[in-house]
Amino acid sequence: MISFFDVTKRFPGGQVALDRVSFEIGAGEFVFLTGPSGAGKTTLLSLILRQDLPTHGRILVNGRNVVSLPRTKIPFLRRSIGVVFQDFRLIPRKTVFENVTYLPRILGLGSEKQRTLGYETLRRVGLAHKANAFPLELSGGEQQRVAIARALVNDPAILVADEPTGNLDEDLSDEIFELFREIHLRGTTVIVATHDRDRIRRAGQRVLVLHGGRLVRDGDAPVENSELEPVLSRGENGG
Amino acid sequence: MTLGKALYYFAREALLNLFRSWKTSLLAVTTIAVSLFIGGFFLMLAANASRLIEDWKSEAMVVVYFAPTTDLNEVDAARSLAGSPAWVEGVDEVTAPQARERFRASFPSVATLVEGWEEEPLPASLEVSFDPLLVEDHAFEAWLGELEELPEVELVDDDRDWVDQLELALQLVLGLGLALGAVLLGAAILTIASVIRLTAILYQDEIDVMRLVGATEFYLRGPFYVEGLWQGLLGGLVALGALFGGFVAVQPMAEGSLLLGTMGTTFLAWPQQVLLVGVGAVAGLLGAIFSLRREAI
Ligand SMILES: Nc1ncnc2c1ncn2[C@@H]1O[C@H](COP(=O)(O)OP(=O)(O)O)[C@@H](O)[C@H]1O
Ligand SMILES: [Mg+2]
Repeated sequence: MISFFDVTKRFPGGQVALDRVSFEIGAGEFVFLTGPSGAGKTTLLSLILRQDLPTHGRILVNGRNVVSLPRTKIPFLRRSIGVVFQDFRLIPRKTVFENVTYLPRILGLGSEKQRTLGYETLRRVGLAHKANAFPLELSGGEQQRVAIARALVNDPAILVADEPTGNLDEDLSDEIFELFREIHLRGTTVIVATHDRDRIRRAGQRVLVLHGGRLVRDGDAPVENSELEPVLSRGENGG
Repeated sequence: MTLGKALYYFAREALLNLFRSWKTSLLAVTTIAVSLFIGGFFLMLAANASRLIEDWKSEAMVVVYFAPTTDLNEVDAARSLAGSPAWVEGVDEVTAPQARERFRASFPSVATLVEGWEEEPLPASLEVSFDPLLVEDHAFEAWLGELEELPEVELVDDDRDWVDQLELALQLVLGLGLALGAVLLGAAILTIASVIRLTAILYQDEIDVMRLVGATEFYLRGPFYVEGLWQGLLGGLVALGALFGGFVAVQPMAEGSLLLGTMGTTFLAWPQQVLLVGVGAVAGLLGAIFSLRREAI
């Protein structure tokens, strides 16, 4: 589903954000991406979404060669990837419903279909009753659930989340991760960048650990917290 | 999405943007309205004035004035020479008393000027009406010269010269007016471009998100193009409304005045009205295209 072959990303300023990273994520996998602040997590996700190009290496996403993808095809790649951010990034002047149905609307679905799809998706995140509210009238956890609904509305093959619970407290984070688990169970490939070591440990899923742009570990979640500690100890304060 | 749906979506989004940032929109609409108002004003002036000139042209006459004491019974030579060319449609004789009466009737406020003289104050004349289309310039000039050389003729007055000059002057004024309108329109396009640029910057975060969830550039830019179009369209309608308002307000005054009474009587013809609003719309669209060219958003 997602393959990185020897991917390096060097920014114009000279910073090496990713250094010869290679991995493969199969369809339907659930993968954590972790590492200290500045390790290159956001950069890695931005390459998947083709927000940026690697300096070197090959990237395949959902069968597409992302590096050679023509500009005009980029939107079609992105429609197959749902994306969730730490800061939600909802459009404040549009209602919850309009935020969620933005993509179906520009894809030209009829208004009846938009309604069904919008409410169905909002129901999945438990917010159908807030359809007509505006994002800023909702709590942080609710806003993030709306953002997840927006990411799910086009039934994407891949869901990418960049520190989705970074702004939320523990209970709300539980809700969000529960949602990701359900999404994964329905067959979607899920990649979540997070600092939450306890959660990674408890989840027992595959973890990619970045450090200074290098992929320092790729495997099942360590059983012991200490196993993750050495590589993560510098990322205490998040980022 | 079908084109129709897309346009509907663009129009709606653009209208929302327009209202949401109404202050900057107002600026854009105003600048375009001012430039179109000025352009439209000169168009209207020109249309009315040229109609008046056409009237004058079709009524153009050569007037042969006789020396003060000339007896109209002794001007057969002049009469037959005046009536001879093919372009002449008619020759009317105006006796000295008739000339005096005419003056009194046309200019009552200064009627005393022609009263109380021992002799008639105005000369007798022949009014030669002609068809401008049949006139052959060279022969016409020669004919005027011959008339002028007759001993009883004091002056031959040919309207055509000053009507031509007036027409030239009118074209000059129209040209200058339209040039002024065009310069202002250029400024208006730049204003619209900046306003749309501002809106785009204001919504940059939203645009980035929409791009990230898979919106094409067409869908991201469409609303901005239509916003420019709306602003231009509104500007054109405001200009048209202001012109019509001004026209209606000035009308009563115009009817009382000698010059404007004959002149300020028609509004812009509907193709010109459409043109005015259309130019506004195109200018708005140009402004948007201008502001979103390259990788602007
Ligand atoms: N646009 C950019 N220009 C220059 N350097 C950047 C840019 N984005 C990220 N970086 C650098 O790349 C490295 C990785 O950043 P990032 O991927 O954001 O890390 P993370 O998400 O793991 O905290 C950091 O050193 C950061 O400063
Ligand atoms: Mg990051």
